[in-house]
Amino acid sequence: MRLPRLVRTTPFQMTLLFLGLFAAAAFAFLAYIYIATAGEAARAADAAILREARSLQQVYAQGGFNALNDAVIERSSSTRPFLYLVMDAKGQPVSGSIAKSPVEKAPDQEAWASFGLTETDTDGSRVRRPARGLEERLPGGELLFVGADVGEAQGYVVKIVNALWGAAALVIVLGLAGGVFVARDVSRNMNALTDVINAARMGDLGARARLRGAGDELDELAAGLNDMLERLQRSIAGLRHAGDAIAHDLRSPLTRLRARMEAALIETEAGRGDPEMALRQALDDADGMLRTFGAVLAIARLEAAASAPDQISFDPSELAAGVAELYEPVSEEKGLDFAAELGGHLSLRGNRDFIAQALANLLDNAVKYTPAGGAVMLRVRRRTSGEIELSVTDTGPGVPEADRERVVDRFVRLENSRNAPGAGLGLSLVAAVARAHGGRLELDEGPGAFDGKGPGLRAALVLPGG
Amino acid sequence: MRLLIVEDDAEASEAMSRGLTEAGHECVVAPDGEAGFNAAHKGKFDVLIVDRMMPKLDGVAMVEMLRKEGEQTPVLFLSALGEISHRVEGLRAGGDDYLVKPYAFAELIARVEALARRRETGSVQTLLRVGDLEMDLIGREVRRRGQEIDLQPREFQLLEFLMRHAGQSVTRTMLLERVWEYHFDPQTNVIDVHISRLRSKIDKGFDRPMLQTVRGAGYRLEA
Repeated sequence: MRLPRLVRTTPFQMTLLFLGLFAAAAFAFLAYIYIATAGEAARAADAAILREARSLQQVYAQGGFNALNDAVIERSSSTRPFLYLVMDAKGQPVSGSIAKSPVEKAPDQEAWASFGLTETDTDGSRVRRPARGLEERLPGGELLFVGADVGEAQGYVVKIVNALWGAAALVIVLGLAGGVFVARDVSRNMNALTDVINAARMGDLGARARLRGAGDELDELAAGLNDMLERLQRSIAGLRHAGDAIAHDLRSPLTRLRARMEAALIETEAGRGDPEMALRQALDDADGMLRTFGAVLAIARLEAAASAPDQISFDPSELAAGVAELYEPVSEEKGLDFAAELGGHLSLRGNRDFIAQALANLLDNAVKYTPAGGAVMLRVRRRTSGEIELSVTDTGPGVPEADRERVVDRFVRLENSRNAPGAGLGLSLVAAVARAHGGRLELDEGPGAFDGKGPGLRAALVLPGG
Repeated sequence: MRLLIVEDDAEASEAMSRGLTEAGHECVVAPDGEAGFNAAHKGKFDVLIVDRMMPKLDGVAMVEMLRKEGEQTPVLFLSALGEISHRVEGLRAGGDDYLVKPYAFAELIARVEALARRRETGSVQTLLRVGDLEMDLIGREVRRRGQEIDLQPREFQLLEFLMRHAGQSVTRTMLLERVWEYHFDPQTNVIDVHISRLRSKIDKGFDRPMLQTVRGAGYRLEA
C-alpha cells in the first residue's frame, strides 16, 4: 500500500515527467546518431565499391576480358575488403570470390544491391553481415560485380546504439530510484505538516510543526503554519476571555433585575405596589444592561482586532471642536468653567467615531466627577515627539496614583464614584480605542489640590501622528 | 400607515407587529427576503422595515433589487451589525435609515414615522413653518410670531430637524445621529441640555410651549 501512495505524490510524478522528457530527448538523439553514422558508412562503402569497380573497368578497357579475369583472380586472393564476381554475357560465373551474384536480374547497365552475407565467424558460429554491391554490364556484354562488407562500419553504429540504450536504461533506473527517494523524503516532511494541520482541525491548536533548520521552502511553510496557529490560538483565547468576561459582567445586573421583578410581583399579588412602576423600572434596568453589553462588546471587539476598522485621515482639532460643542452646555449647566484649546490643522489617521466616542467618554467623566465651580479643559496638540494628544483636564478629585492602572480595567469604579451613574466602562473603552490605534491612555494628576478641591485628573489619549 | 416588516425571527417580528399595530399602524410580516421582495412588489407600503441578515435573500440584496426596479418606498434597516462600514453598506444599498439592535421600541416608532413623513415633504423647501414659528433656510433666520430669535448654528440645525419632523416624536439618538452625526450614546444628558437651551429661546415669553418632552421617547415640536 506504500507504493501507490508514493506514486500519487507530486515529486514522484514530477520525476516521471522528467524521465519521460529525458527518454524522448535520448530517443531523438539516438535516431540522429543512427541516421548520421549509418548513412555515412553506407555512403563511404558505396564510394569505395564504385572506385574499385572503376579501376577494374580500366583494366578491362586496356587488357580486355582476360586481363580483367586475371585481375579479379589476383585481387580475390589478396586482403582487399571487396567481393568480386565476373560473369559472361549470360550471367554464368567465370571467376571471383563469391559463387553467385546477389543481384537477381542482370542489369542492362548497372544496378546496386544490399544483401546479407553469411559467414562463419572465428568461433565457428554463423553470422549474417550486411553488404552492398554494384553489378555492371561491361562494353563486351560481360557482367562485373563488386561488393563490400559494410558490417565493419555498421558494427560501430550498432555498438554506439547499444551503449546509448544501456545508458538510457541506467538513467531510467537511477531516475526512478531518485524519484522514489525524493518523493519519500518530501512526503515524509509534508506528512509532518499534514499531521499538524489535521491536529489543528481536530481542535488541538497547540500543535506545531517541527522546523528542520534547512531554511528551505518547506521550513518556511512550517514556520508560516506555526505562526498562523499561534495567532489563531491567541485570538481564540482572547475571544474566550471576552466571552467569559461578558457572561460574568451581565450576571450581576441580571440577578438584580430578577430580584426586583420578583419583589414587584410579590407586592402586586399582595395588593400593594405599582405594576406600571415595576415595569418601567425593569425596562430601565434592561436598557442599562443593553448599554453595558454594547460597551463590553465594543471593547472586546476593539481588543480582538489588530487595529481599529474604517480608519481615515482627519483633523483631530475639528473632531474635538465638535465633541466640545456637544459637551459645553452640560458642563456650563453644572457650573463648570469649560475651555477648549485646539491646536488647529493637525492630521490623524484613525476611526473617527471611536475617537469621538473616546473623547466624549473623557468629557463625560470630567463633567460627572468635577464639583460645581471647577473647570474642565479639552486640549488637542501635537507633541514634540510627533504624537497627537487629545486630553481632558479637570479639577475634580482625580485618581490616586495607586489606582490609575486599575481604573482602566472593566467595571472598576472607585469608592468615591459609586453614586455617580455609569458602569465603569468609560475608561476601558478609551484605553481600548487608544490601543487599537497604536496609542495609549495616560492618566496624570490635574492642576493640583487647591482650596480643598482637586488635585484633578488629566486623561490624555495619545495617538501616533499621521 | 401601512408597514411591511421583513424579519426572519418570528418572535421579533411578532413583537414588532404588535407594538406598531398598537401605535395605530397596519403591519404585514414577511419571513424572508424573497417573500419580502414579493410583498413589497405587490402591496403599497409607506415604510419597509427590513432585517439585514435573513435566509434566501438578505436584506441588503433585497433592497438593492427593489431599488433597481424603481421601488422608492423608504427603508429602515434593522441590524445587529452596528459598525460604520455596515451602516454605510446598508445606506448605499438604498436604505434610508439604519437602526442597530437592540433598540427601544419608541426609537423604532419614531424612526418609522420620520421616514414616512420625509416621503410626503419631498421637494426642496426654503421656508419651514410650524404653527407661529417660521424658519427661513436661506436667510438663516427664525421668527416666532414675527419676533426674531437668535440661534447658534447648532441650535439652528437642531430646530430645523425638529421642525421637519413637527408633530412626531424624535429620540435623543436620532438627534445625535442626524444633527451631530455621532453614532454613540453619551452617558450624560448632553442632548437634554441642548434642548433646554433651545427651548428657553423659542418658548420663553410665549404662553404655549412648543418643544415638548415625550416621556420614554424623546422630544416633539407641536404647532
